Amino acid sequence: MSQIVFQLFLNSLIAGSIYALIAIGFAIIYKTVKFFHFAHGVVYAAGAYIAYTFFSILQFNFVISFFLAILLTGLIGVGINHFVYRTLRIKRAPNLIFLLASFGVFIFIQNLITLIYGSEVRIMRPENDIAIYSVLGATITSTQVTILAVSLIALVLLWIFIQKTRLGLALRAVADDPHAAQLVGIDSDRLILIAFFIGSLLAGVAGVLISLETNLDPTMGLPAILKGIIACIIGGIGSIPGAVVGGFFLGFVENFGILFIPSIWKDFISFIVLIVFLIFKPEGFFGIKAEKELI
Amino acid sequence: MEYLFHLFIISGIFVILALSLNLIIGYLGQPALGHAAFFALGAYSSSLLALNLGISPWIGLFIGAAFAAISGLVIGYLTFHLNEDYFALATFGFGLLIYYLIKNWVDVTRGPMGLTNIPQFLTFSSNLESLIFYCVLIVFFILLTIGVMKRIVYSPLGRVVQSIRDDEIAAESLGKDTRQIKITIFMIGAFFAGIAGSLYAHYVTYIDPSSFTVMESILIVLMVILGGLGTIEGSIIGAAILILFPELLRFIGIPSAIAAPLRQMIYGLMLIILIIKRPQGLVGKYKLW
Repeated sequence: MSQIVFQLFLNSLIAGSIYALIAIGFAIIYKTVKFFHFAHGVVYAAGAYIAYTFFSILQFNFVISFFLAILLTGLIGVGINHFVYRTLRIKRAPNLIFLLASFGVFIFIQNLITLIYGSEVRIMRPENDIAIYSVLGATITSTQVTILAVSLIALVLLWIFIQKTRLGLALRAVADDPHAAQLVGIDSDRLILIAFFIGSLLAGVAGVLISLETNLDPTMGLPAILKGIIACIIGGIGSIPGAVVGGFFLGFVENFGILFIPSIWKDFISFIVLIVFLIFKPEGFFGIKAEKELI
Repeated sequence: MEYLFHLFIISGIFVILALSLNLIIGYLGQPALGHAAFFALGAYSSSLLALNLGISPWIGLFIGAAFAAISGLVIGYLTFHLNEDYFALATFGFGLLIYYLIKNWVDVTRGPMGLTNIPQFLTFSSNLESLIFYCVLIVFFILLTIGVMKRIVYSPLGRVVQSIRDDEIAAESLGKDTRQIKITIFMIGAFFAGIAGSLYAHYVTYIDPSSFTVMESILIVLMVILGGLGTIEGSIIGAAILILFPELLRFIGIPSAIAAPLRQMIYGLMLIILIIKRPQGLVGKYKLW
């Protein structure tokens, strides 16, 4: 029994780190622009396909493919911001319009991927012989170790960036109060661009990592962004530590949930978690109240 | 010729869906992004009642619609105290939840294999006869939907509904229970989407989860925005254009492996361009923003 529990613990950590990466990217963007960037999910899928293109089609070295993929994914995010959201921002559109536009972007890019790569699944496996380690009776593959290690490095680098650099400080200032930030000479347009770049880059990291473990499929962005948003709502929307906690919490609930319900219902667990939070704790663990403020 | 009748019936079903969603988005101003869920609930509940219990489609139609309305009540109750972004995501999530449910609950819904041999409303002696019957039936239900919508929109309740869209705080300050009104309108919208679902199931006699994906929900939203929010003609025009448009692609002779993603790409682009350039749609009066 303890072996099963430990195996589930490892699986939860792996799923949780992917969810956390998606959720943090989403949270950084949400914090800066205050709307739901739903197309974040398709940016994640694009990251996976770009890595696949470099690694499996063009036969690049995996490490080079990885860095090229995450950089280009960051640029895709910047492009979406520039061509769609910036126009809406100039016209001072309400949040909801951004969300609808975001759905448009999502559908457009997802189908562009389908058009280019076809709707069948693709596989990307850089390691020919995957080593399997045994830890306390549970098994973990070298790919899974890579996923955990890279996610951890990404999280630490992000933390250093936000807490220790001037740019990170400026980003926090814009998130707290864009007008006040502009008054002290911070160019908020440029910081929105940086937020989109970093957020999308993290989505790219998650996308490439998950495709080492599972298949690539053009529709992979939809479940990913839903998990990401649910993780953010659990943690408290707009809170970066909240996104990490929410991501891991969701990973654990989903994996340990299969001890109690049949695995075909795994997809439903995250929705049940979402519903519970929306009813009892809509502000999440660390967030501010989501309830409509009248007056 | 028979194919034209078929297109008319399918367009008509989407006209009912677009009208019922327009009531929620265009008049009430609430971004419901999971309308296909109510369509699915109507379709599956009346088909399952007919197949398993032998209940007549005429009765199943109303049971299915009532079931959709009750789900609308639950969703509205859970989410209307949150802000609009949450409502948008919760309805979208609900759409996905219902899709997963009909896909995974194989014992009841037969999952991806779908339900076959769903009984029609009457037994027909020829195909043409059935097509004409369904055309008449659809026109009847479109007129019923329009009638109910007009009764609501031009009633005192309708004034409050539109005031919620324009300024909810003002409506609330006049002592209107906006949350209850929002739930009521959402339920009426869900009810008609349920009717559309049941009509669809008993017309095509075969349903599977692929007709009720989240993309269908977005397609209905696009119909409403394209035609024009807060107008009845708009929903009819929007639904007709978006149902007939893929036929055009087929007519040009683009192979279906390319046509399907290409069509969706055009929908996505259309959504972006419309809300940037023409948020009131083709014939709309009310601007989305």
